[in-house]
Formats: sequence, structure tokens, C-alpha cells
Amino acid sequence: MSTLRPTRLGAIVLLIASLAGLAIALYAYFVPLTGVTGTLGALVAILACLALGVLALLLATVKQKKAAILLRVLILLGLLGTFFAGMLLHQWWICAAMGVGFIGLILDMVRPSHHAQPAHA
Amino acid sequence: MPTFSVTKRPRFTPATLGWRTATALVLCLSPMPLLAQDSPDEPANSPENSSENSPANSEAEATNTAPIPLVPGEPIWDSFHGQLNAQKYSPLDQINADNVGELEKVWEIHTGDVADGSGDLPATVWSATPVFANDTLYIGTPFYRIIALDPASGEEKWSFDTQSSLEALTQPALKNRGVAYWEADDPVAGESCQKIIYMGTMDARLFAVDADSGEPCQGFADNGVLNANQWNDTNDKWPLSLLQPPTVVGDRLILGWAGMDWAYEEAPPGTVFSINARTGELEWTFQALSDQMREQSGTANVWTHMSADEELGLVYLPVSSPSPNYWGGNRTEEVPLGTSTTALDIETGEVVWSRQWVHHDIWDYDINSAPTLMDITVDGEEIPALIQATKMGFLFVVNRETGEDVWPIEERPVPGGDGAVEGEVYAPTQPFPTKPAPLMDQSEKPKVWALADAVSFGQCSALWEDLRYEGMYTPPTTEGEGTLGFPISAGGVQWGGVAFDPESQTAVVNTSHIVQYIRLYGREAYESANRASGNESGFASQEGAPYGMRLEVALNRLGMPCWEPPFGELVALDMTTGDIKWRRPLGASQQYGFYMPESWGSPTIGGPAVTAGNVIFIGASMDAKVRAYSLETGEELWSDQSEAPSVSNPAVYEYEGRQYVAFVSGGNTILKNQVGDQVAVYALPE
Repeated sequence: MSTLRPTRLGAIVLLIASLAGLAIALYAYFVPLTGVTGTLGALVAILACLALGVLALLLATVKQKKAAILLRVLILLGLLGTFFAGMLLHQWWICAAMGVGFIGLILDMVRPSHHAQPAHA
Repeated sequence: MPTFSVTKRPRFTPATLGWRTATALVLCLSPMPLLAQDSPDEPANSPENSSENSPANSEAEATNTAPIPLVPGEPIWDSFHGQLNAQKYSPLDQINADNVGELEKVWEIHTGDVADGSGDLPATVWSATPVFANDTLYIGTPFYRIIALDPASGEEKWSFDTQSSLEALTQPALKNRGVAYWEADDPVAGESCQKIIYMGTMDARLFAVDADSGEPCQGFADNGVLNANQWNDTNDKWPLSLLQPPTVVGDRLILGWAGMDWAYEEAPPGTVFSINARTGELEWTFQALSDQMREQSGTANVWTHMSADEELGLVYLPVSSPSPNYWGGNRTEEVPLGTSTTALDIETGEVVWSRQWVHHDIWDYDINSAPTLMDITVDGEEIPALIQATKMGFLFVVNRETGEDVWPIEERPVPGGDGAVEGEVYAPTQPFPTKPAPLMDQSEKPKVWALADAVSFGQCSALWEDLRYEGMYTPPTTEGEGTLGFPISAGGVQWGGVAFDPESQTAVVNTSHIVQYIRLYGREAYESANRASGNESGFASQEGAPYGMRLEVALNRLGMPCWEPPFGELVALDMTTGDIKWRRPLGASQQYGFYMPESWGSPTIGGPAVTAGNVIFIGASMDAKVRAYSLETGEELWSDQSEAPSVSNPAVYEYEGRQYVAFVSGGNTILKNQVGDQVAVYALPE
């Protein structure tokens, strides 16, 4: 177990950042006077954060290297897009959450490869 | 340079002949109480008559009474533009440029009178200025209710429901611009209706209720309700919707009305009614069209607020364009009072002077805001002036006693037609102010915005190729995609008008930079076109005319403007020189919730208020924020989020020693599909 934690740390950080982004986007969408209440843009941010959360879960469990690379590319695009959306929505905390998510992605990229060397080996 | 001086050019003959006859007609057709109206013997039909008519005589008559200052000595915000002079100026300075950043919301209410159009009710468009009077804040709602609120807490004192049908009879939305307030000079103790709140409805009824209790005033018209539609006697295609509260001058209510623009060639003609504030009796009428023109055309009505100089005894009317809006083949004669600022004698309704700002208007350039009255010093000379903002983005400044230019207003040649429009005639020249400079440069076809063009793969530049533009006042056409207008109906300055600080003689105005395009369709082509219409956009039939029309904002398929930003600005003018002191983008545009950079600005609807604290308060922008700016520099000092764009003027008032700023946030579908029912009031922390 002790070797599992660092390998999944990045994905966990990413998941937490995505959930934080989701909470902020939900707040922005549903609470009055956020400036983007009920807007399509805030809805897109909700869906994007949801998608990032799912991708983070997949990243934590994926075993194949190619699949991991594909997931990282998708996550990077999702982080950039959601960061940009957060900027245009003036939801700066979504931007901050995406920044944390990006750190999670970096951590995941520099983790010991558990695909080639399973932790229990 | 040719000028358009009222002292040299007789211009009232056709209209006043019609006015005289039509007045007689009204007298014949009206019920008995109307026979008591104070009908003028000889309407002004020449500048000579004009000069004899009002200002001098009024001055002579006024020698026995104390002069009425143009700027009230006390803080007043008891009408749509704050004060009768339409300055939207408060002498209050508790909130000032140094501390406005500390403003906090002290209360807000939601009236519940809101609809987004998705259900059974039409969408609401709410542009009411809160009215502070009688130690109460009064608002009207787009469901045609009057609500009286405690000014410090927002607690409801009373409400009155007109039970008006919530049908969009003449407008694409349920619209309301608030209430008017009157109080007797000599109130009788213990009697009701010594202070009255008035509000009109879409179905042409004017309600009068006691300001203290909200009970209908039984002595006003028919138990507190005046049916303005009783005077709708020509081309009565629609009811005379009373969306704008009456302008209260002394014991008179000056009442204009709104209708269904663009729908018909022949429409109700633009009569303005002067009504006794106590009894609802008609005292005089003003008609902007001749008898003949009243039959074959229509409108040239006053659908927005008016301003008045009680000392001069003049009320100033912003008169709209005749019908139909985009084809003038049925009105080829001169219509000198259409699209004008017209000064009337408040006692008689006689025309004292008039300035037409668009000859043979075929662009729907209604004069849409009350002229702002101001005393200014130009080249050492004190001038009683007014400034008339327009949809065209021109600001016309004239002497409000005579209508003469303050800075030269030139008649310049303008483009003619392309020969494609049957029956049309074109004015060879139009008035152009030399100062202040136009709020936007309409002299050349606006440039295509490269970003919008690129992301739409050239859609914008392709559209530009198909649009005719030979400068300001390029006439509508049937060819291509039509004629480009910068601006047309939605652009320039809207009903918020110009605010004015009398101390620094600074005028403040918000403007929109909007490119629209108008195309005429022959009747057959129109009937087969895929038609949809919105608020100030889409298809309209102009029924009876040989052409229907389509008006669109020039957007790409992503909804981005095809022209370059900024899309709206706040502008301050030094009225001693006519020069611009500063200008800056106002607010941010917003699409689907996404804010665009503030350097691009936002189209604006609504207007500013200025205070002696050197602060400008304004909403008006798409991003639904309310803001404060430095009057001196234009720097943004404060902002807060509101529920929907605040498309009205703010109100500034003092109650129990504390200064407040009130915003109504109701939205307008011209800006975007966002509606609200919020009243938000701000003050400094106690």
C-alpha cells in the first residue's frame, strides 16, 4: 500500500480539484447574483468539471501506458478549457481549482510508473 | 454653412393647420367634460408668432411670482428623470468619489412581477426609475402594480394592483417605466388624494391612487381611472399604451403613449394630452401631424418622458417618427414636427419652437429621450440651453427659449436612394451638429471586426459586401441584404438620456455602438419570407405599405458582433466648450454567461445619475452590473452584481440623514434575454 499512494497522488489531487471546480460551478449556476446564474456558460463549466472528475478517476485506475497518455492529454485540454471558461465567466475560483488540477496532472506525469512495475511486484 | 434657425424658417404651417382642425374634431367628438378644455385660439404658425407666444409673455406674467429655479434647491428625485429638467442630478454628497467604494447593499426586494416569456406570459421589460417622494419610494411594475416602499428598509407600505390584463397588446413584451408623482401646492388637511401616484397600463388606462394609502382617487376621471383610449379616434389599430408615466408639470399631467411600431402604414397619430392632475379632465392636446397626415400615416407620438422649464412655461417633447417607420411613400409632404424636439406652451399646448432632427425619417430615428435642460456658459455668455440626445449618436444643443443653435447645426447633403424603392422620396440634406462631436463615427462604413470574421470563416465580411452604406442616412433598400445602419433603431442613446452636473457643467451620456441592417421586401417577397420577429429586430409587415421589412443586428453565427469594439461607452462632455472630457468603455458584453473584456464595452440601455459627490451611477450594461464612476476622470470606483441589466435610471435620495442609491434591475430583451424583478438600494455603512 505504501507504494500506491505516490502513484495515485496526482490523480487524487486532480479529482479533488475537479470536485472543487464542480462545487464552484454549481454555486455559480444555481445561486442568484453570481453574474452567471442559469447561464449556458456556467452549465458548460459544471459539465466540464464533471468530465474532469471522471477522467481523474480513470487516470487513477488505468493500467496501460497508452491509455494513461491519452487520458492526460484529454485532462490537459479539459483543464485549459475549463480554466478559460472560468476566466470568461469571472469565476476565478474555478481557475484556481484548474490550477490545482494542473499540479495534480504534473504529479501524475512524474509518478513512478505503476504500469510497467506493478506496486505489488 | 446653412443653418436651421427657427427665426428664419416658417415650419409649422401644415402641422398647425391640422392641429387646429383636429382640435376642433376632438372638441366635437369628445364627451361633455372635454368641452372645458383650454383650446388655443391661434396656434403658432410662424417664428414671429412663436416669439410672441411664450417665453417673453411668461416672463412678464411671472414678475409677480418668485422665479422657479431650473435646478431645484433641495434634493429631488420624484420623476422618471429625477427632476423636470431631466438633469438626473442630485446635490447630495454624503456618498462621494472618495468613499463610494464602501457602498453596501442595505436592502433589496423582488416584486415577483417578472416573466421570461417561456410560459403563458410575455417576457417583461422593466425600465422604471424608482420615484422618491412623500418619504416613500414608489415603483411601478411590468405587471402594472404600484408598490410603495419604506425608503430605508424596503418594507412594503402598500401596493395597488390595476388588474390590467397581462397581454402584449402593442409591444413584444410587458413593459413599464414606473410611476409619476403629484402633490397639491395647497393640500387640504384630512383629505385624500392631495398627493397622487399615477401609472399607466398597456391597455391605455391611467390610474391615480392616493400616495399615502394606495386607494384610488375617486375624483380623478372615472373613479381613479382615465381611459386614454377614448381619444383613439383615427386609425385605431391598437390601444394607446401608457407605458411611460406622465410628465407632471404644476397641476398638469402631460401624457404621451406608445404603440405597435413597424406593424402598419396607417396608425394612430401622435397626440399628446394635457390632463388636469386632480380631475383627469383633458385641458389641451398637441398633434404632431396635419389632418391629412393623421389619416394616411400616424404615430409621430411621444412615447418617452418629457422635460419642462416651469419658469419659462415650456414643456419639451421628444417626438418620434411618423409611420410606417422604414418607408415614407405615404408621407412625401413635409412633416415638420416628426422626429423633433418641440417646445410647447404649458398653458395652451401651442408650439413655441420646434427643431426637426431628421427630415423625412425612414430609419425609425424616434427622438427617444427627454432633452436635458441646462444653463451653460459658452464663450462667457450664459445660455439657457438644452441638449437632445438621439438614436443617431448626435447630440444637438440649442437655446431652450428659442430653439436656436448654441453651436452651429449644419444641413449637409446625404445619400439618396438607389431607385429600388417605389414611391419613396429622400431628404437631400439632414442636420449635423458641429459640436459636440458625434458619439460614434458614422461617416464611413464601420470596419469588420477581424476576430468575428475569422471565427465565422468570413461570414462578417461577406455580409458587409452585401450591405449598402454611403454614410449616415443611407436609405433602406430592397437590394442585397439591405442597408447598413450605424446605428439604427437600437443604437446611439436610448431613453436614459443625458445627465448633467450644473456645478462643473459636465454632461454625461451612455451610448451604444450597434450595427444593424435593414432590408425592405416587396409585399409578395415579404409574404413568402421566413419571418420571425423579436424586440427591435426581425421582420415587421408595415401592413398597407408596399414593403415589409427586416431589421437585424449584424452578428456572426456565434452571436459575435461583426463590427469592432467598443460596443458601448460612457462619455463626459464639457458643456462650456462642447468638447469631450473623457470617454471610456462601459461595462462588459456577455454572451451565454461569458464576459468579454471590459475594454470592449457593452451596448447600453438605461441612463446615468450624477451627484454633487462627483460620482456617476449607472447600470445599463449587458453584464447586469451597477457601477459608480468618477465624474472627474471616468475611473470605475465601485460595482455590484444585479439580477438583470438595469435598463433604467438610478434614483438618488436622502432619507433621515442617510443618502441612498436605488437601482431597478429588470432587463430588456434588446440587450439580452435576462429578466429581473429586483430593486436594490445602496448606502454607506452606518
